[in-house]
Amino acid sequence: MIRSTFDTLWTLMRRELWESPIAFKWTPLAVGALIVLFVIIMLIIGARIDAEMALTGDALRTLADQAPEQRRLMVSGVLFSISTIFFQLMLLVILFYLAGSLFDDRKDRSILYWKSLPVSDQMTVVSKVATACLLIPGLFLAAIILTQLVLLLIATGYALLAGVNPVTALWLPASLPKLWTIMALGLLVQALWLLPIYAWLLFCSSWAPRLPILIAIGVPAAISFIQHAWTLATSMSLPGLNLGLILLKRLGTGVLPMNIQMEVGDNMSDIEFSEELFMSFSSLGSHLVRLEMWIGLGLALVLLAAAVWFRRRATDN
Amino acid sequence: MTSTIKARNLRRKFGQTRALDGIDLDIPAGRIVGLIGPNGAGKTTALKAILGLSRFDGELSVLGLDPARQRDKLMQDVCFIADVAVLPRWARVRQIIDVTEKLHPRFSRERCLHYLKQTKIQHNSKIKALSKGMIVQLHLALVMSINAKLLVLDEPTLGLDILFRKKFYSNLLNEYFDEQRTILITTHQVEEVEHILTDLVFIKDGKLILNSSMDDVQERYTELMVKPDQADNARELQPLHERVMFGRHIFLFDHADPDRLLELGEIHQPSVADLFVALMTDPEPMADFTEDAA
Repeated sequence: MIRSTFDTLWTLMRRELWESPIAFKWTPLAVGALIVLFVIIMLIIGARIDAEMALTGDALRTLADQAPEQRRLMVSGVLFSISTIFFQLMLLVILFYLAGSLFDDRKDRSILYWKSLPVSDQMTVVSKVATACLLIPGLFLAAIILTQLVLLLIATGYALLAGVNPVTALWLPASLPKLWTIMALGLLVQALWLLPIYAWLLFCSSWAPRLPILIAIGVPAAISFIQHAWTLATSMSLPGLNLGLILLKRLGTGVLPMNIQMEVGDNMSDIEFSEELFMSFSSLGSHLVRLEMWIGLGLALVLLAAAVWFRRRATDN
Repeated sequence: MTSTIKARNLRRKFGQTRALDGIDLDIPAGRIVGLIGPNGAGKTTALKAILGLSRFDGELSVLGLDPARQRDKLMQDVCFIADVAVLPRWARVRQIIDVTEKLHPRFSRERCLHYLKQTKIQHNSKIKALSKGMIVQLHLALVMSINAKLLVLDEPTLGLDILFRKKFYSNLLNEYFDEQRTILITTHQVEEVEHILTDLVFIKDGKLILNSSMDDVQERYTELMVKPDQADNARELQPLHERVMFGRHIFLFDHADPDRLLELGEIHQPSVADLFVALMTDPEPMADFTEDAA
């Protein structure tokens, strides 16, 4: 019974991948390819200026001479910062995917086919959530890992030319298993953090007669604008708690899986660039016990239940 | 044996329009039922209620389940083509077969491949690259490969050429249909299905105006063809409908005495299409017509 439920879920998630191969598969691979291409072009330009690659070799030797902590911070920091561009794009992919997920099959009427299969409406909605929270992050993470490995291999070639031991200077400081575990867990925590926003998009997608993404953005934007104008007009002050700001803050702090703890408006100079910022299990875990996290999850469940309700009544018109 | 479909006072309103206006229906297993009605009569609304695709008032049970609440369970034993060409356009043929196989426990890949072999559909084609008729062929192949207890077909052969239509109905009757299954079919091409139907249901303005077996229909209705000089005599017997063809007057009678009719002219079995026209035509204009003729 449980097995067949997971089989069904997996089939439905594969279906999502078949529907959007460009967004889910080729986008992260293209980003990785562009980053690698950029590095190669820089190296070619570098070789023009500095034919002996003396500067590159010096830089690698300097790196190898650093203290182990410094080396770790630099190598894993570079590898981590590469991943950020993936994460920003991933969020866009997920937002657009969710807005269309329960809408597109109503528009092209294929909902009549999907509803002819013995799959419950809950299962359909769960499969969309699982695609947004697990499948898409998983595919982006795979592309990140691939890109990081390619870049490390390129660096290994240069290290060997410069007479630097690539294992101690690059591969060990990269602490790949820890970096990848942190990123994977970070993506899960990020998905939970953003779940209310995901659920809102699914909810809009389940009933919107057209343009679900505009409705999903327009409704909270209009509410926060009205709230803004109302407080300004009645008490000549700006609201302390505004829906639009809350949403933007949640989105902003959720763009990178690891930077949820950054508070918008806090004194940014307080943040010290250290390994703790992106390589800490404890800061990941700390998000799970925050009140905002659980309020968000509660809200997400209500919105998802509403999405199922609308999905049950949805047909082709 | 419980009914495959049992409806009591089934109703559905869209604004002021009564799309379904108190329908009672009992369809036992092992029947092929034709649900026939003009556009906007409520056929699709009725089918959607039966398939759990739309809300309704009144009582409805399909294979003992409530379609509004248990659609996913119901779809284990029901399959349908609710309209033409609703397969997802982004998918490839083999992906659709894969998905259906994984999600439907009663789907048989062999049967599906067997039906597809009779078409020109390539497994690697995208559905949006197929012609409208080929999409229907694919959908029919998928649906006929599901071992279901109830098959619902809403205009299944729209856009198909006559060769494929004939083949489809012969497959449906000879390979698919058996005592355990029920087929509910709506179509405007009545002539094509009338020979396979066991039951006939006419729907008009959300109400059933005929609901009986084909045997009863044949017993009940008689068509009489008379020369013009006998037309007045025929009208005295209160026909349901009158039309003129090649100078002959053709009357349709309900429960008429065949011996009396034989005195006036030739009698025939009316075709479903003629019966449909007679029963769907409003009685008012019909009365005018009789007066004018008199």
